[in-house]
Amino acid sequence: MQWFAAGCGCAICGSASARLLDFDLRAVEMASRTWAVLGRTEYFNMDNGGNIVNVAFVEVPDGVVVIDTGPSRRYGDALRRLIEKTVPGKPILRVYNTHHHPDHFLGNQAFDASMIAAPQKVIDNIALEGSGFADNMYRLLGDWMRGTNAVAPTVALQADREEVGGRHFSLFYLSGHTSSDFVIRDDETGVLFAGDLAFLYRAPTTPHADIVSWRESLTVLAGIDKSLLIPGHGPSDDKDESLVQTGDYIDWLHGSLSDAVQRGLTMNEAMALPIPVRFEGLGVVRTEYERSVVHLYPALEDALFPVIELDQ
Amino acid sequence: MKSVSRIAVVFCMMLFSTGLLARQLPEDPLDSVMWEAMAERFMPEGDIVFDERVRVMAPLSAENQFHVPITVDATALDDVVEIVAMADLNPIPLVMSLRPSEALAFVGFRLKLQQTSPIHVGVRTRDGVWHVGGAIVDAAGGGCTAPAAAHGNSNWMKTLGETRAFAGRDTDHSARMTLRMRHPMDTGLAAGIPAFYLNELAVRDDEGNILAEIDLYEPVSENPTLTLKPRVGPEATVLTVSSRDTEGNIFNFPLDVPAATGL
Repeated sequence: MQWFAAGCGCAICGSASARLLDFDLRAVEMASRTWAVLGRTEYFNMDNGGNIVNVAFVEVPDGVVVIDTGPSRRYGDALRRLIEKTVPGKPILRVYNTHHHPDHFLGNQAFDASMIAAPQKVIDNIALEGSGFADNMYRLLGDWMRGTNAVAPTVALQADREEVGGRHFSLFYLSGHTSSDFVIRDDETGVLFAGDLAFLYRAPTTPHADIVSWRESLTVLAGIDKSLLIPGHGPSDDKDESLVQTGDYIDWLHGSLSDAVQRGLTMNEAMALPIPVRFEGLGVVRTEYERSVVHLYPALEDALFPVIELDQ
Repeated sequence: MKSVSRIAVVFCMMLFSTGLLARQLPEDPLDSVMWEAMAERFMPEGDIVFDERVRVMAPLSAENQFHVPITVDATALDDVVEIVAMADLNPIPLVMSLRPSEALAFVGFRLKLQQTSPIHVGVRTRDGVWHVGGAIVDAAGGGCTAPAAAHGNSNWMKTLGETRAFAGRDTDHSARMTLRMRHPMDTGLAAGIPAFYLNELAVRDDEGNILAEIDLYEPVSENPTLTLKPRVGPEATVLTVSSRDTEGNIFNFPLDVPAATGL
């Protein structure tokens, strides 16, 4: 009898946690037959389960094209089901990974690996760092990550254009947020999938950033003909607001940290510096700023501290 | 018989408690399982009190377990003799110890973390009391047992000891000096790589008097980056930094301190 009661208790727990670990993904139609699944503008936590990223999918004449796959196998599975429900009966012909950060590609397992494509450098980065990311994501998100392994794309892209299922896409090979940031434009609708080169109302992240090339990439993105921009994080953008905001933030970050390094402030002192009020509306800006101090300080120190001749 | 044994028990308990009274360890606000061991090993004598005047700045979470920035500011305390930092759950917990004889009780450094750990900083004042502060830093694993990044480069020996440094003004009577020296700071815990680290550094004034001495240990991050505040007069001066590693390599250099503004 006691055993039976314990069994009941567990069954209740089980169903409660199963409900808890549901992403409840929603597809929002942003343009004709083009859907975005918008994540929260937060950092990874047990409450959001890693759903902090934007992914998207497009119905093309003969199938579906997917841009990024989310932070985990669980998310990837949920995304695939959402696509099947939204665009019933059409095969997934192509999955693009915009870059190698874990929230953008760890859902790859849910898709046919032979369809997953990215620039060679993104593939290399995933091969090098993917499983380390998966380990750390498991540490941050626990059971949300169950069964997740890093799967690298199998198709290495280098063309400027690709036709998928009767639709043409322009492909842009940029960098700055990471060493390889891949941007895709649907040439029919003009929707630009900018990945994490563009953030909107969410503080940009910098673990692999090179601010100078990021700046150059923003200039390229501003020059691309588009109807709408889907940033990697934050709401969709039809007036390049995300490019202006991201540029403003990374310029401030670079300037402010360069100044802190030249004043000899320790990283901890730099972390405590005020953030301008105009960035207050950016989600998790204090947390991301503190992370950025650790990311960007060492290279600035190497560049800005004077080299001293040692006594012989 | 029964009452005798009871008396003996009470007597024993008294002895035991007087033993503790000689040095009563305060409860650790960080609730570290290693607290007693840390106190016994690294703060072996003198009373211990947790003290808010020991300000330990550390991130809540280590963005990079190889480079966790820590800044200790105990300038609110007078007569500081020694500052000792330890990462309780590291395989080698002792990080660094500073004797700021003619420097402010302030130090910035970076450490490697093997896992999430409490960081305790003990600040000993001239009366022998240890004033302790600390923080808990969340971290992914492996900071102490992975090879240094330098070993990814076959000619890392060529840049050993390469130094970047500068000093500015903290106040009219103190400088703020920051230095960064290229050194792998091998812990000896990565397979096939023996311990090899910068272990001594001293700052002297232009007459050769010691202003600050610091002992560094294995957990200090690769390419040690240190910030100190030596006491200096308002006029421009030249400090001398001397340091050596566990292989006896010596790295010495002068460091200009500008005059206080308005002088």
